[in-house]
Amino acid sequence: MPPRAAGAEVDFESAYGATTHNAYGMCAMRHMHDYGTTSEQLAWIKVAASHHAQYNPHAMLKDVVTVEDVLNSPMISDPLHRMDCCVVSDGGGALIVTTPEIARSLKKPLVKLIGHGEAMKGPRGGKDLDLTYSAGVWSGPRAFEEAGITPKDIKYASIYDSFTITVLMQLEDLGFCKKGEGGKFVADGNLISGVGKLPFNTDGGGLCSNHPVNRGGMTKIIEAVRQLRGEAHPKVQVKNCDLAIAHGTGGLLGVRHAASTAILERV
Amino acid sequence: MSEAKKYPAPVTNPETAAFWDAAKQGKFIIKRCTACGEAHYFPRSICPFCYSDKTVWEESSGEGTIYTYSLMRKSPNGPYAIGYVTLKEGPSVQTNFVDCDLEKLKIGQRVKVVFKPTDGAPLPFFTPV
Repeated sequence: MPPRAAGAEVDFESAYGATTHNAYGMCAMRHMHDYGTTSEQLAWIKVAASHHAQYNPHAMLKDVVTVEDVLNSPMISDPLHRMDCCVVSDGGGALIVTTPEIARSLKKPLVKLIGHGEAMKGPRGGKDLDLTYSAGVWSGPRAFEEAGITPKDIKYASIYDSFTITVLMQLEDLGFCKKGEGGKFVADGNLISGVGKLPFNTDGGGLCSNHPVNRGGMTKIIEAVRQLRGEAHPKVQVKNCDLAIAHGTGGLLGVRHAASTAILERV
Repeated sequence: MSEAKKYPAPVTNPETAAFWDAAKQGKFIIKRCTACGEAHYFPRSICPFCYSDKTVWEESSGEGTIYTYSLMRKSPNGPYAIGYVTLKEGPSVQTNFVDCDLEKLKIGQRVKVVFKPTDGAPLPFFTPV
């Protein structure tokens, strides 16, 4: 790969050591400050992922963990603990998009892309900096509008999960709850399949199963398709799963990033 | 942060040369657009808000408050704290916090700019007032 050309920002950012951990740590720190979000609430996202990962033989981390386990794991970059962070793994995937005629000939339940949105967000010259929301506030509504549905219609959500805070911010941005109420929304198992109102990342996600670098979005689409086909593990399969969302962000939420939202329907 | 930490020298370019020349004089300067009146950071020739080329340099107070931060507990050079400072003039600036107890940083805390040497122009950092 040719070397990446240095951007105009390099002299004003590179010396300060922005990494994935501290960039998302900065988002979490401000979210806690503005909305009272707690480490316990963030931990519930990891707990839900671990409940799902126990049924995935390919998951890197199969053990069910508790909120206390997350809080007792070492602090990596405040306020994110080790268990607030995703795994790092090899991996990949493929997605075939084809004509309705060919799709019908394949003798598999059909899944259709009915809505999509993309957006970018950066520091915008440092004006009115707000790290508590992502570009999902723009990509999400575009996708829902195209699909002609609302977040309440979604039965299953694949949400990119580099860190627990990544999930919480994106759920708010997509409209599953109001901005600032993500902490309450994810608590008490609300993301656990068969327990809560919004089953998420039923393969264990990046937090427990796998996270091939820069390819986190692919695995999100794959598990959403499994759910819509009824091919997820029986212990985590969502009943009557006819509408799902797969959403991810690339880059760093604490610096600059892009978001993409896909809404899928079983047809 | 370890005082022995070596920071990379800015590469600089014609668009930002004045910033680094000022840094050598201990001055922290930012760009403001005379068309829309907005200040921005990092400095650009073209205003990132209204796209006018009528941008001019002005000296910043170098004072602001911590918008957010995160303390990286381990690195080859020891713990360090990255964050954003919202300057009195408006724009927010990515930086590290130095010359202080990193455990006591707080959002909203007042900070001021301090320059640290490199092999080239000095780099701006922030420290609690």
